Amino acid sequence: MKMEDMSLSGLDNTKLEALAQDIYSDLVEDACLGLCFEVHRAVKQGYFFLDDTDQESMKDFEIVDQPGVDIFGQVYNQWKNKECVCPNCNRSIAASRFAPHLEKCLGMGRNSSRIANRRIASSNNMNNKSESDQEDNDDVNDNDWSYGSEKKAKKRKSDKNPNSPRRSKSVKHKNALLGPKLCCRSGSSMRAVER
Amino acid sequence: FYWHCVQQHARFIERFGLKELLRAKLTECGWRDQLKAHCKDVIKEKGLEHVTVEDLVVEITPKGRVLVPDSVKKELLQRIRAFLAQHAT
Repeated sequence: MKMEDMSLSGLDNTKLEALAQDIYSDLVEDACLGLCFEVHRAVKQGYFFLDDTDQESMKDFEIVDQPGVDIFGQVYNQWKNKECVCPNCNRSIAASRFAPHLEKCLGMGRNSSRIANRRIASSNNMNNKSESDQEDNDDVNDNDWSYGSEKKAKKRKSDKNPNSPRRSKSVKHKNALLGPKLCCRSGSSMRAVER
Repeated sequence: FYWHCVQQHARFIERFGLKELLRAKLTECGWRDQLKAHCKDVIKEKGLEHVTVEDLVVEITPKGRVLVPDSVKKELLQRIRAFLAQHAT
């Protein structure tokens, strides 16, 4: 549809203005009718009054906008230092340490399965070794969550490097001497044996 | 000839998005909410079960026309005139 169809050039200003007013009235009437139809449908479909609540409830659930408090009015870090009782071992644990403790305590989670696997692997490898060596390993494992674990984690990482293809040949040659069983995990237990 | 224009202007309106513009402005300025509140009164008066579209149209439309804020009316008319002027040559 082209605007040329309208050929408005023949119209004088008063007629143009009347046309503009007509268009405007049409638009407003359209908006009103639209609203009527919407409302009528909402009434007949039963959802017109759906979002009405009494004043009291509105006040109860109003969004809170104060410092130090979330939008429900709760203090958001009040549970940080609470103590929880572990349902498994019945120990009282700090909230922020609770998740890792549960992981170990229940024997689930990534780390505890790793530890378990390593224990199995090392106990298989060292079946004919002395008792003291095994205890050594256990102690090292128990330190997983404390500072000691970070040291050990670093150790393990440096173990990885000798095995990576980027390393020089001499390092690889050294690993070959230790035996084919050497890998990241058993690497540390092998080291314990070496000592 | 005049009626020819009037018929054409329905398509004119659609094409230039004037409908949407007006509705958006009316919602923005609270006109819709005002009228909705008025609708509630009508419904309560006529009864939820029995109110018809006619009831609403009769009660709402006159009020709706009056309630349009002057600023909105001005802007709409301006736009309409501008479009008409553009295409009057």
